[in-house]
Amino acid sequence: MIGNKIESKVAPTHAGGPLLEVKNLKVSFETVNGRVLAVNDLNFSVQTGQRIGIVGESGSGKSVAAQALMGILRGADISGEIIFRGTNLLELEEDHYRKLRGWDISYVFQDPLSALDPIRTIGDQVSQVLRLRNVKAAEAKNKTLEILDRVGIKDPQRRYNDYPHQFSGGMRQRAMIAMALIGEPSLVIADEPTTSLDVRVQAQVIDLFNKLTEEQGTAVIFITHDLSIMAGFAEDVYVMYAGNIVESAKTDEIYYRSIHPYTLGLLGSIPRIRGPVLKSLTAIKGKPPAPTDIPPGCPFHPRCTYASSECAELKPTLQIPKSGNHLSACHHSELLSQKNGSR
Amino acid sequence: MQPILDVENLVKEFPFKGDKKNGVPRAIDDISFQVFEGEALGLVGESGSGKSTTARCILHLLKPTSGKVSFQGSNVLEMNKNELKSFRKDAQIVFQDPYSSLDPRMKVGDIIGEGIEIHNPKISKQELRNEVIEMMELVGLRPDHFNRYPRAFSGGERQRIGIARALAVKPKLLICDEPVASLDVSIQAQILNLLQKMKEELGLTILFIAHDLATVRHLCTRIAVMESGKIREIGDRSQIYENPQHPYTQSLIAIVPEPDPISERARLVERKLSKLKEQP
Ligand SMILES: Nc1ncnc2c1ncn2[C@@H]1O[C@H](COP(=O)(O)OP(=O)(O)OP(=O)(O)O)[C@@H](O)[C@H]1O
Ligand SMILES: Nc1ncnc2c1ncn2[C@@H]1O[C@H](COP(=O)(O)OP(=O)(O)OP(=O)(O)O)[C@@H](O)[C@H]1O
Ligand SMILES: [Mg+2]
Ligand SMILES: [Mg+2]
Repeated sequence: MIGNKIESKVAPTHAGGPLLEVKNLKVSFETVNGRVLAVNDLNFSVQTGQRIGIVGESGSGKSVAAQALMGILRGADISGEIIFRGTNLLELEEDHYRKLRGWDISYVFQDPLSALDPIRTIGDQVSQVLRLRNVKAAEAKNKTLEILDRVGIKDPQRRYNDYPHQFSGGMRQRAMIAMALIGEPSLVIADEPTTSLDVRVQAQVIDLFNKLTEEQGTAVIFITHDLSIMAGFAEDVYVMYAGNIVESAKTDEIYYRSIHPYTLGLLGSIPRIRGPVLKSLTAIKGKPPAPTDIPPGCPFHPRCTYASSECAELKPTLQIPKSGNHLSACHHSELLSQKNGSR
Repeated sequence: MQPILDVENLVKEFPFKGDKKNGVPRAIDDISFQVFEGEALGLVGESGSGKSTTARCILHLLKPTSGKVSFQGSNVLEMNKNELKSFRKDAQIVFQDPYSSLDPRMKVGDIIGEGIEIHNPKISKQELRNEVIEMMELVGLRPDHFNRYPRAFSGGERQRIGIARALAVKPKLLICDEPVASLDVSIQAQILNLLQKMKEELGLTILFIAHDLATVRHLCTRIAVMESGKIREIGDRSQIYENPQHPYTQSLIAIVPEPDPISERARLVERKLSKLKEQP
């Protein structure tokens, strides 16, 4: 353990309480085209060492939600509560927040190019978190070499003084991951950490996060649009659509017994490497709505094969249907849970 | 059967400064393959294996170090200006990166229409507009997007713009360089279905480049597997996926994740165990 983690804790974890609890989180932006509600009423909690998955398509609000948790969103209206170790981060002063960031909570940015400084070496950037906490230069360098090695950067000694442009896309992403892990945080929010990587490297990253949760009790919120990569990792999955959680459950429930048409559509869209080759994939028609143009009623109804007239009028709430056993925001979830429950 | 595209002993070296003791590394190292009319051939391999370089050499956007590329029987590398012009119409490419491949200063309608106009300068404004709108509808873009600039589009939409631009000149061969890698799953499926449809309805020949073996399996009936600039294995879909011959193909197939938690967890455990075994 490096430095003194206690120092960074804003409050001790209250016994038995979750590490992080998000309640009624809403994030909106004022734009020239009117108000954009990017995240609408997000609720979830994370226990120590837990592996949470958030899936959704582009624009569904995943990054905005993550950045709101990190306290790094600019120009946004944020309401609700983000309770980390018993303290509401939304009421925290920036000074305290900054102490937490990269240290007790860290964030793996979706886009490593924009998050890395092109004129500073990789080693300098990865070790920064430690140096800011007065870890001695030699120790910081050793830790950096070690973490670079762990995320699969070959020959870290030689790579330490490279600049970001000397790294391939995949290596940059791994450097970002190293930066997020070096402070041994208790919560890592990883925003599409595997998206531009090869399958082999994707698997390495998943294994690395998995090891972290098992051996160090780090909690991980894993954000992705890739249901395949998520499948072996997450314990609980939240499916987002147009700023809303539309279904949430234990991972197996989501993959084998989904009761939401959007989730079912996503699963049907994935080409498979085993089993019969389909003539065509059951793609979801249309595309996700623009945030300024969210349809009334159920936001998914224009693309939904199950949509009925009430779907266009009344927004379904996230609830457990009578015959079901997990949360879904769909007027037809009762029907779907009868159908899928009998499988 | 005559191949529409015939690649023979293609080599591409990128000279570099520094240690040349072991020779110049080859981005493409003596590859040969053929693409037949109406088929979709998949070219798969990991990042840096030389897929994009292959595509660029085929289209003569890059000059190969050696080797031969023939399109409908004529050598691409020896074409005169006119032949090259008609080749550039017949063989189109959709690029990997939907963000940098579209001119940000051009309106979408003009991007899609540009090729039509170059190859048919006498076309009337109205006809051109109609053709462009037809293409936009074909790929699922809204006609009212005609006057917008690329920056106003999402990645999926930009990729459709790229496909519409490529299909607008009615090519015989479409090279797709990871056309869906950066797209949402639901949009990926739409684009794959779209390409499948183009193949069936227009008889389009497709060279489909991807690192994702599952995507390739869906669209392509023959697959070439590339590693370190070499083609390790080429064969029918059933051979590659059910009975892969080369160890590299086998390892690549073994690692593709599936949206199936039970089998994925089992694989995670397997990887953990094999790692433990490696350590002394
Ligand atoms: N600063 C901002 N001002 C206005 N709208 C914004 C701002 N930042 C994000 N948005 C909007 O909020 C919505 C959610 O964006 P977000 O980046 O969270 O999506 P995402 O789920 O992470 O998508 P992706 O998979 O593409 O990363 C989008 O529609 C986006 O356009
Ligand atoms: N212009 C260039 N100069 C020097 N080396 C290059 C150049 N273009 C490509 N290379 C090298 O050639 C090799 C093959 O690159 P290429 O882009 O063809 O790979 P790829 O298979 O398309 O990978 P990806 O899946 O990442 O797109 C790589 O090692 C790359 O670094
Ligand atoms: Mg995002
Ligand atoms: Mg490439």
